[in-house]
Amino acid sequence: MIEKIVNPKELRHWDGRIELYWIYTSGKAGDEFFKKLMNEEKFLAAKCKKCGKVYFPPRIYCEKDFSETEFVEVSGEGCVRAFTVARLDAYEKPLEKPEIYAVIDIDGTDGCLIHLLGEVEPENVEIGMKVKPVLKPKNEREGKITDILYFKPL
Amino acid sequence: MEVEKISGLKFHKKQDVAIVGAGMTTFKRRLNETGRELSYLAIKQALEEAGITIDDIEMVVMGSAPDTFDGLHMKGEYLLDGSGGSDRPYMRVFVGGGTGVFAPIAGYWHVASGLADVCLVVCEEKMSSSHPHPQSAFKYIWDPILDRPLSPNLIWIFALEMRRYMHVHNIKHEDIALVSVKNKGNALDHPCAQVAEKITVEDVLNSEPMALPVRRLDVSPPSDGAAALIMVAPHIARQLTDNPVWVTGVGWALDTTWWTNRDLYFPRYVAEAAKMAYRQAHINDPRKEIDVAEPYDPFDYKELHHMEGLGLAKKGEAPILTREGVTQRDGDLPTCPSGGLLGVGNPIAATMGVKACELYWQLAYRAGKRQVAKEVTTGVCQAWGDLMQVGTVMVMSNKR
Repeated sequence: MIEKIVNPKELRHWDGRIELYWIYTSGKAGDEFFKKLMNEEKFLAAKCKKCGKVYFPPRIYCEKDFSETEFVEVSGEGCVRAFTVARLDAYEKPLEKPEIYAVIDIDGTDGCLIHLLGEVEPENVEIGMKVKPVLKPKNEREGKITDILYFKPL
Repeated sequence: MEVEKISGLKFHKKQDVAIVGAGMTTFKRRLNETGRELSYLAIKQALEEAGITIDDIEMVVMGSAPDTFDGLHMKGEYLLDGSGGSDRPYMRVFVGGGTGVFAPIAGYWHVASGLADVCLVVCEEKMSSSHPHPQSAFKYIWDPILDRPLSPNLIWIFALEMRRYMHVHNIKHEDIALVSVKNKGNALDHPCAQVAEKITVEDVLNSEPMALPVRRLDVSPPSDGAAALIMVAPHIARQLTDNPVWVTGVGWALDTTWWTNRDLYFPRYVAEAAKMAYRQAHINDPRKEIDVAEPYDPFDYKELHHMEGLGLAKKGEAPILTREGVTQRDGDLPTCPSGGLLGVGNPIAATMGVKACELYWQLAYRAGKRQVAKEVTTGVCQAWGDLMQVGTVMVMSNKR
């Protein structure tokens, strides 16, 4: 017979926690991308010198043919490729205002970005809809992906 | 299909495996690059040396040690695009510190089995992301009930092992320190080295005590870096080079996780792994038949420990060979001609660059200023890791 124990206090038990933290860096291409976004409100992509594929966000290498890339500037505008409307938070509590997450196909590149949509109601979002990024005011920007507040319909 | 039957080892091989190119980044604290970028840089060199492009790669093996260093669960997937794994059969392997030789062993399976004719092996480690110190990550490899409440760290565990080794064979710290002097000196000729320097035995003995007998200069440094190898089938090797280096034997073994219940003075896991690799490579007397060796040297005593596990010295004899100069680059059995982990650096899995890659460079006569003086045909490289329990061994030869 197997006794079911659901309270660990009935057994000798040990609490554990992994006490580590990390400092991530974004690499050579990532550093250029975020500095450009923060300081100049411009968007960088990277074009493969061999096959012409344009990576967004930029990388120093082409993942297909391992050639070097060169930076190209793009508008940051794009269109919605897929979206979802989140109504519950991570703890399954209803959100006060639904959040719209979209995969955005960035114009002039072969890359996409996941971000929030804003200034639009969920029922009005469509696949293929043109959108443009809305940035934080310059003094609030930190060189992070959240320097983009959301994308709004164009 | 070619079938080799070796007593005690069921071994069915489709084809031989050659190494035709290798590359590595410098080992140091590399905040500026991501792990993906480091992998890419090492692979570019290996492809160039082999004279092929990424399009020629059929399958990819990635080796990287615990996720806690990069702070990314499923690190293998994260590293994929810089590792050339995109749209290819791709797998990550790891056995902690043993990964640097285990990853090429996995590459060997890919080619020897006939599943791939061209396999890329890349190893990456970026330890500098981890805080407060990469060492903190090791705290969580211990048993949470028996070990962890005592706040162990690797240094004092190794100190116990070093003490036991010194006690059983009556070895002086002076003799062990010679390994650090040799390897840090050898590393002066390695363009990727992090802590190459000319030091003396006295420098080691007077360096900062960490957990005695281990002092600062007995230990290799944490590091960031990547290394890559190209492994191919014989018909591909023939097209690419007149001087391929053949993988003639592979072996790996793990000892019990109850590390306190081992006798710490002798690495049985290495001895078992070596036995497997030597049997496959038809090596009966490693001390006579091995011309050059890259035993794993994260600590100076570990090179000696591992030489004995590899059968390159009798038990307790490795310090004597070292004192007599046998293991110098111009000696009869050069060990760690690369400069090893002690001199070049210790980015866990990426130490493939100073183990498997170095052995390939030595046997291909491509080691430049690091080339050993004697004529070389056969060599062995080895790594060690997990909870001080895994031995990974690869034997290579420039004769088929």
